Amino acid sequence: MSLQQTITDEAAAQRAKAAGRRYRRQQSAFDILILFLVVIGASVIYGLISPDTFAFNSFANIQNALYTIPIEVGIPALGVGVLMIAGEFDLSVGNNYIFSSIVTAQLATNGMNVWVAALIGLLIGTGIGLLNGLLTLWLKIPSFITTLGTSFFWLAATFFVHGASSQSFTPDPAFATLTAGSVGVIPATFLWWVVLAVAFWGLLERNRIGNHIFAAGGNKQAAVATGVRVNRTKLLAFALAGTTAALGGILAASYIGNIAPSNGEALPLEAIAACVIGGLALTGGRGTILGTVLGSALIFWIRDVLLLLGAPGFYIDAPIGILIIGAAAFYEVLRSRRS
Amino acid sequence: MGIDGMDTVAAERPVQQGEAATPLLELRDINKQYGLNRVLNNVSFHVRRAEILALLGDNGAGKSTLVKTMSGVVQPDSGTLLWEGKPVVLNSHADAAELGIETIYQDSALVDSMTIARNIFMGREMVGPLGFMHLKQMREIAAHVLKTIVAIEGIDSPDKLVGSLSGGQKQAVAIARAVHFKRTLLILDEPTSALAVRATEALFEYLRSLRAQGLSSVLVTHNLYDAYRICDRFVVMARGQVVFQATQKETSVDELTEHVSRGD
Repeated sequence: MSLQQTITDEAAAQRAKAAGRRYRRQQSAFDILILFLVVIGASVIYGLISPDTFAFNSFANIQNALYTIPIEVGIPALGVGVLMIAGEFDLSVGNNYIFSSIVTAQLATNGMNVWVAALIGLLIGTGIGLLNGLLTLWLKIPSFITTLGTSFFWLAATFFVHGASSQSFTPDPAFATLTAGSVGVIPATFLWWVVLAVAFWGLLERNRIGNHIFAAGGNKQAAVATGVRVNRTKLLAFALAGTTAALGGILAASYIGNIAPSNGEALPLEAIAACVIGGLALTGGRGTILGTVLGSALIFWIRDVLLLLGAPGFYIDAPIGILIIGAAAFYEVLRSRRS
Repeated sequence: MGIDGMDTVAAERPVQQGEAATPLLELRDINKQYGLNRVLNNVSFHVRRAEILALLGDNGAGKSTLVKTMSGVVQPDSGTLLWEGKPVVLNSHADAAELGIETIYQDSALVDSMTIARNIFMGREMVGPLGFMHLKQMREIAAHVLKTIVAIEGIDSPDKLVGSLSGGQKQAVAIARAVHFKRTLLILDEPTSALAVRATEALFEYLRSLRAQGLSSVLVTHNLYDAYRICDRFVVMARGQVVFQATQKETSVDELTEHVSRGD
């Protein structure tokens, strides 16, 4: 082999090695974690510098965040994220959230044991998710369309079952503490979120089912060719999206004390946005649970910071939009640099 | 399969090249019609153990339907398939896989966004109770497979994402996967069309070493020069029929080219 050839080979080998190192990290949530730490760090520092105008570090602010993020977007985003990795969407999670929790609240208020009512609510939510999956896979239509349709259906179902008024929910103390109390200063809803996130991480990134979920979303033909039961895997993901939506709704109902039928519209897109910010690919096959967690936190953070700075309400959503676009562009740059 | 699933086919049955015994896979009088279009017309041919067979023919000759018949994806209207002399019916891809037939597609049936290790074990993950994967073991075996079965240039880690590999490397991973799970018959669909020269050489090396271990391969290709260099035997198809068969010694590239372009 000539010297020329040896040099070219070495150069090629070095390039390949470097590319390999960069590429290896792609599936980790490293980038979003750095982004998260930077923005939280900056907020904490600013809060320390002028605590009177920016009460970021106040106990009330932090605790409110820990209570609210899980029920407002964190828990539903876990299910929506897993489904997105499997290559599908669920736009009905918002109305699922409302319907399942309103049924739970109504049953409990009318005398049913609240634990049973909650279980029924969870089963309803899971069933809604499963139905989304069955319709999508059986009719072979895009899940975006199926769930757009079912979303309207469950909104109507809510009005049908309950009417347009809001439903109060005052469960017995044991249930209330478990779902909306706190362990010391840590809110129960946050603990639920952490436990669920760990469970979802185990399922997605350590379990065979997770391997199949990535495959189904990443390259469906490859998955089928290697014997993966793609439909079964997707149905599980659809069901989980429904379960987390219902669970979020029930926890929210317990914490807030009532549910209004019209609050469900924003959730699906917010959850999807949290996932995109967290590094999940809209096309499927890519993402981490940590990503959905941090994405959910970041979406909340930006609203929180703007409120604390005294921004008028209608200015708050614009930066969210910028964050979503910015995050998606940022990940695209990362991906193309690494390939 | 035990955790040390590193035995190859050779461990089970030592063979000589082109062994003149019962063919590994035989197709007799296979017919397939789609509407008025007779895609396979009384096709009969066979693949021996430890043989590299070329399936040649122009577009529309019926090669891909034949391949799908061999891999269980398409069921023939009539005719018999025999595996090691015994009649079999392949109703699905899974049936063929059970016999040991695996198709390596041009896109290699790999998921770009996942690591090599996870791809190798896709659908066959090593799991404990509740389905949790033995990731460490999977990675170790994958690393071993990458070094031994197909010593692939430029892949130093099973954690690399498949999307970062070149076409030749991806194919090598797909072949390594097939071999590791003790496939006996590999069907390669246009394997060299997207490969650089060096990768083609590497592919041929693998196929030769697999042949030495008793595996058979069927190469479906348009590239007659490549086919002539690596294949032991050639089957030319046209209009759904087998029009010419010969071993490498009996024929030449020119003759094969003539049969393919003339279609008889």
